[in-house]
Amino acid sequence: MKWFSLKKREELPTKKAWIIRGAAIVLSILCAGLVILLLGFNPLVTFGEMVKGALGSKIRLTQTMLKAIPLIVTTLGIIIAFKMKFWNIGGEGQIMMGALAASFVALNFPDMPRALLLLCMAIAAVIGGGLWAFIPAFFKAKMGTNETIFTLMLNYLAIKFVTYLQYGPWRDPGSKGFPKVADFSQNAILPNVFGLHVGWIIALVLIAIIYIFMNYTKKGYEISVVGESLDTARYAGMNIKSIIITAMLISGGLCGLTGMIQASAIEKTLTYSLSAGMGFTAIITAWLSRLNALASLFVCVAFAVLLQGGAYIQISMQIPASVADMIQGILLFFVLSSEFFLQYKVNFHFKKAKGVA
Amino acid sequence: MKRTKKVLSVLLIIAFAATVLLTGCGGSTGKTDEATTVGFIYIGSKTDGGYSQAQHNGTMAVEQHFGNKIKTIVAENVAEDKQAVKSTAVNMIDQGAKIVIGTSFGFMDALDELAVEYPNVTFLHFSGYKMNDKNFGNYFGAMEEPRYLSGMIAGLMTKSNKLGYVAAYPYTEVKIGINAFALGAQSVNPNATVSVVYINSWNDPANEKAAAESLLAQGCDIITQHCDSAGPQLAAQDAKAFAVGYNLDNSKVAPNSFLTAPIWHHEKYLIPTIEKIIDGTYVPESYYGTMKDGYIGLAPMTNLVPEDVKKKVEEVQEKMIAGTFPVFVGPIKDNQGNIVVKEGETLDRAGIWKMEYLVQGVTGRDN
Amino acid sequence: MEPVKAIEMKDICKAFGSVKANEDVNLTVYNGEIHALLGENGAGKSTLVNMLSGIYTPDSGFISVYDQEVHFASPKDSIKKGIGMIHQHFKLVDVLSAQENIILGSSKDGAFVKRKKLAQEIKKLSDQYGLDINPNKKVYEMSVGEKESLEIIKVLYRGAKILIMDEPTAVLTPQEIKRLFEIIRNMKKQGCAIIIITHKLNEVMEISDRVTVLRKGKTVGTVNTNEVEVQALIEMMVGKKIDLAITKEEIAEKELLMKVDGLYVVNQDKKHALKDISFSLYSHEILGVAGVAGSGQKELCETIAGLNPAEKGRVFFEGENILGKTPQEIIRLGIRMGFIPEDRLGMGLIGSMDIVDNIILKDYQNAPGMFLKRSRYHEKANRIVNRLDIQTPGIFYPVKKLSGGNIQKVLLGREIDSDPRVLITAYPVRGLDIGASLTIYDLLNEQKRKGVGILFIGEDLDVLIDLCDRVMVFCGGEVMGIVDPKKVTKEEIGLLMAGGRMGEGVRHEVV
Repeated sequence: MKWFSLKKREELPTKKAWIIRGAAIVLSILCAGLVILLLGFNPLVTFGEMVKGALGSKIRLTQTMLKAIPLIVTTLGIIIAFKMKFWNIGGEGQIMMGALAASFVALNFPDMPRALLLLCMAIAAVIGGGLWAFIPAFFKAKMGTNETIFTLMLNYLAIKFVTYLQYGPWRDPGSKGFPKVADFSQNAILPNVFGLHVGWIIALVLIAIIYIFMNYTKKGYEISVVGESLDTARYAGMNIKSIIITAMLISGGLCGLTGMIQASAIEKTLTYSLSAGMGFTAIITAWLSRLNALASLFVCVAFAVLLQGGAYIQISMQIPASVADMIQGILLFFVLSSEFFLQYKVNFHFKKAKGVA
Repeated sequence: MKRTKKVLSVLLIIAFAATVLLTGCGGSTGKTDEATTVGFIYIGSKTDGGYSQAQHNGTMAVEQHFGNKIKTIVAENVAEDKQAVKSTAVNMIDQGAKIVIGTSFGFMDALDELAVEYPNVTFLHFSGYKMNDKNFGNYFGAMEEPRYLSGMIAGLMTKSNKLGYVAAYPYTEVKIGINAFALGAQSVNPNATVSVVYINSWNDPANEKAAAESLLAQGCDIITQHCDSAGPQLAAQDAKAFAVGYNLDNSKVAPNSFLTAPIWHHEKYLIPTIEKIIDGTYVPESYYGTMKDGYIGLAPMTNLVPEDVKKKVEEVQEKMIAGTFPVFVGPIKDNQGNIVVKEGETLDRAGIWKMEYLVQGVTGRDN
Repeated sequence: MEPVKAIEMKDICKAFGSVKANEDVNLTVYNGEIHALLGENGAGKSTLVNMLSGIYTPDSGFISVYDQEVHFASPKDSIKKGIGMIHQHFKLVDVLSAQENIILGSSKDGAFVKRKKLAQEIKKLSDQYGLDINPNKKVYEMSVGEKESLEIIKVLYRGAKILIMDEPTAVLTPQEIKRLFEIIRNMKKQGCAIIIITHKLNEVMEISDRVTVLRKGKTVGTVNTNEVEVQALIEMMVGKKIDLAITKEEIAEKELLMKVDGLYVVNQDKKHALKDISFSLYSHEILGVAGVAGSGQKELCETIAGLNPAEKGRVFFEGENILGKTPQEIIRLGIRMGFIPEDRLGMGLIGSMDIVDNIILKDYQNAPGMFLKRSRYHEKANRIVNRLDIQTPGIFYPVKKLSGGNIQKVLLGREIDSDPRVLITAYPVRGLDIGASLTIYDLLNEQKRKGVGILFIGEDLDVLIDLCDRVMVFCGGEVMGIVDPKKVTKEEIGLLMAGGRMGEGVRHEVV
């Protein structure tokens, strides 16, 4: 006999929802702690190290922020697509194409004045990423193709193409036979502001812009309506095709901008590993942000803390990489499943025996 | 029911708070010993059965040699994007690392930048070319030497005169290896040809195996590789053919196909270098280890290699160890028929690392 | 003999968050009784029966079945006690046969199916209750009436002696309703207890023995059907006296507003959804459209509104041919046409957005600039809420959380607020209770008085006859005739709906 059952809930009061979320975090910590203990480490020390490793000093905080910045920009891009229920799984590819376009500008015009060069790179990156997202958007709008598979496949195309360039035509002649694209000139590198590359300001500004765009502009409204119901959008006389394409140009453009930020501020060149899975991570953070641009700031920073903390304990405690990944996985699992419990209610039937008889 | 939930949540919150408090207070991991901390960054897992495992073999030998004098910290699965590399290295330095060793080409630029940011830390990089004159050096090995020897084995043992080569990417380092292998084979068997398949990845076991299978299907009876997994050796074993591995002695993984493999002895470089760094006498260099140094070599040839073949190979091996047997000696023609190394000319390290061609008898793309 | 108490629910309370869906509700049903549960939308009927079928658990109060107190943790417990629920939306698997649907989810007989035995059992049940079902027919081949019968057999097969039917007649044709009532009476004869949820008063009067009326989550009372007047039931339901009659005012002043001429529309399967449709719509009139569902009503509305491409034909609106124009162009042209689509939340409104965001849906494009100027519409939203008496906590409340009638009022309110010349309404009262329906009729009549021409797609022939000035009858995408409801009977319209030709006594109005 079943001793529990699931029921879809009515909307929960906010307070209760937050209690569930809080409980999920606590549970995940307890569960991860147990795993750590079983593996022979002290869980208290481990979590302490994670927090310290992410926030404990200026250097570590910087590392955390360096992880948060590209995640935020990518997440914003994903939010726009997802709000429209366009499942853009192609963030990776759009990041790569943005980086590729920015690198093209940086490598060909190394001596342009810095501000102008950076601006051109950013524009090129937005166009590059935007175009890469335009392709599936176009086919979705015109022919109704499935965007999930389409965008996913374009990831591999983009990454393999950049790999080809890195090992082939774009290989730096000065690299003595090694597969490396030439480094950017100094002018093509984003400056630092308060010890952190200027990407953090870009990210904050973009959060504000996207928040306003989604909530206070006609286009943002249209994107939401298209996401809710195509019939309603049609009924309201919206040009659905153009909305899908515009939104995806913005979504891909933001991912592309991430590519430019990473190429310019971090890699200082183009490499095929530059996207580093952010296009996928951003899907998680976009959901956790509940597709809200402001929330994405907190979610992405929290996620970066998790990433940096995980990387740190690997070094400081010599916990194997797989265990650090596992801890992250457990935390994520609980947080994501709490969203499930916000929608479903579990009833335990302890009283059953006496009840039915 | 409702009350139970409330109580439960309060308890959980207390547990959480306790966790945070305790860890916040009790995190004193002060290090007062004299050991020098050395950080190793791997691209893969230290048990990946290939590249990173070979690196880790070196690390373990280093640990054994120094004992308490050093403390090693290892980071596995570090991606080749600069952010990942830098944050890993910074975390290591944060932990007191005085030496950081990056063991994949893609780590180079990150280490180059770190060397400027952390002048008190010494950085060593495997398989790159960047360095400075204070705290950043690089190291690599003349893999063409053992590859030449393995080519000799293949040339002597092949019946079809067709050798298969599963390679990662078509660029200089890989081409050097292919050419060395081909020249080695042709030195004992002028009819030997080498077919190359690029898989455009360093580590893709399924693809590596598939590439080897396609080569075997084309009639190749000995397979070698410049990629990480044991896939090609297993494919050869399934086809009752032979294989020359890479990085690791896989005689136990593919006992019925594995002949030998060009392998690394990283500790031969790392032990003296780390000693110098500790002593403060290290001067950055671009080290290119040879068989003479013992930095590279052939894994012991297995019993699948006939005695007479072993003998012939060992003769040349001795000369190489003595440093009297250069691999690329003119005349050498590329596979378009152009003379690329003139008669009487011998390629030095710089000359070798300009190689963009494949030598005669090799079929495969050259870009 | 004292009748057996099949179900007794006492002092039942159930709250969802802060909403009290049921408060001290009492219900007693006897064997051999047909018991109607009457109440407006949101009165708590569904909540109450969902507790009987084990979907919800009451917060307090007790339920007993055959004088035995029960606590249902799941629908399975309820089924075990002999309670069967027939939902408004059939829960059948289309690609399976009747027989397969019957055994699906039934825990009888273990894991293996003894087909022969099963067929016998189905036959026995069908004969017993006068149900007609072919066990091997696939569900997708069945008519709505057959599906209803199948649902009934399904619960009977599971041993149900107490049947709960949630709005069983909502989707049936008059003939099918007649048959269903026969079946229900049969079951009554066999000693079953039957609870029917409905808000159709004539059905209550026709079929039930007793009626329990709920209002705002509370029991108003239980009465014997043969001792009560319809008017009294309405009063119990709504809480005040309501004049049920739909008013119709004849207004002589008429002016041509819209002329549809030779309209052909092809659907996705390349079949004609509309064939040679021609009619005119005048000011000060409500033109009703009658027809079996799927006769082309939806296509007609959407084509006129510019959502659907036409094959050929013309639609003149105040002299201009608007056929082929997109909704965007129609809005931009300043053509004042309101459209209440059939699918309110799927097309007319965005459920998750608040009233303001729904009010701006068709207007926002006309405002200059790239920003939405929501604050400008607060006044409009408040005006609509007040004018139509929309029950909502505020104008920033998500539309989907409102009751069905209030949702429809938001939609209608938005459309009439833009002062339309023509108003197209597709099934505007579907799913609404009496009170809400009457409000909608009043609102439509008010528009008519103002001079608006209204195209009213309806399903209830009584309403079409009472409300409309003319009724256009559709069958298979063709107009069978346009009749004056004062001069024809319901049966004559029914004949046209079924594809019958104009005969004696049915005057075909040529326009």
